[in-house]
Amino acid sequence: MTQQPPSLLEELPGDLLMWVLIISELLIFGAGLIAFLAMRMADPAGFAEAQAHLDRTGAALNTVVLISSGYLAAQALHWRKAARRRAARYALAAAAALGVLFLVIKGMEYADKAALGINWETHSFFMFYYMLTGFHAAHVVAGILLLLLVAWRDSVENIELGAAFWHMVDLVWVLLFPVIYLLV
Amino acid sequence: MVTTSPLSRAWIILIFLSLLSALAAELVETGVDTRITGSLVLALSLFKARLILSRYLGLCDAPAWRRGFNLTLTFFCLGLLGLYLAPSLS
Repeated sequence: MTQQPPSLLEELPGDLLMWVLIISELLIFGAGLIAFLAMRMADPAGFAEAQAHLDRTGAALNTVVLISSGYLAAQALHWRKAARRRAARYALAAAAALGVLFLVIKGMEYADKAALGINWETHSFFMFYYMLTGFHAAHVVAGILLLLLVAWRDSVENIELGAAFWHMVDLVWVLLFPVIYLLV
Repeated sequence: MVTTSPLSRAWIILIFLSLLSALAAELVETGVDTRITGSLVLALSLFKARLILSRYLGLCDAPAWRRGFNLTLTFFCLGLLGLYLAPSLS
């Protein structure tokens, strides 16, 4: 008897609903980034001047933090599948800790802006900056809680779900960081 | 001989691409055209996003889905590039 090849949906790793969520979030952030660059077209010099107030080094460091955190979450899934439960739990806890570090660096960045008297009304650049990075930071908070939850309830399916959400947060940052911080 | 897993290799490449992005952005200070540095930064981000989808999210085991995501991401990044370059072309 020949074995049927997996259907397209069966080929997708993890939970289908998580992928629906990932695609929805990517569309929301994608629309935000398109709106940001569309607004920039009307005032490129003003956007460049506003962007000069951002801390690129801190944001670049945060990229390394999130990428490393995502690596640990992905590694946790591999370890759990190999029945290395303790290693998987430690990896998830470490991934969550790096998420907290991301928020600390982000908080310092916001505090720095506040000290300079910069808020979301200062310029339309900052309205998008606070909206997009703030919405992303909210996802980081949710992701940290989810990582800790799946470290506790550590079935393979749960870890796969938690890690997928965390990778979505990672993926959004990889696209958001260059547009907001680097494109002069 | 020390061997690294595909996941570890992906992490190392992602760190390397992130450093390249930061360096490309800094080239503006040396007088390099922002249209070139901007295009480079967006291209590097596209590579990073593709790598995260493939290795972190496991789409390397689902080639049809990976192709679909990659194609959509490529068009999205091209759209961002167009919006970024538009003011300097007008």
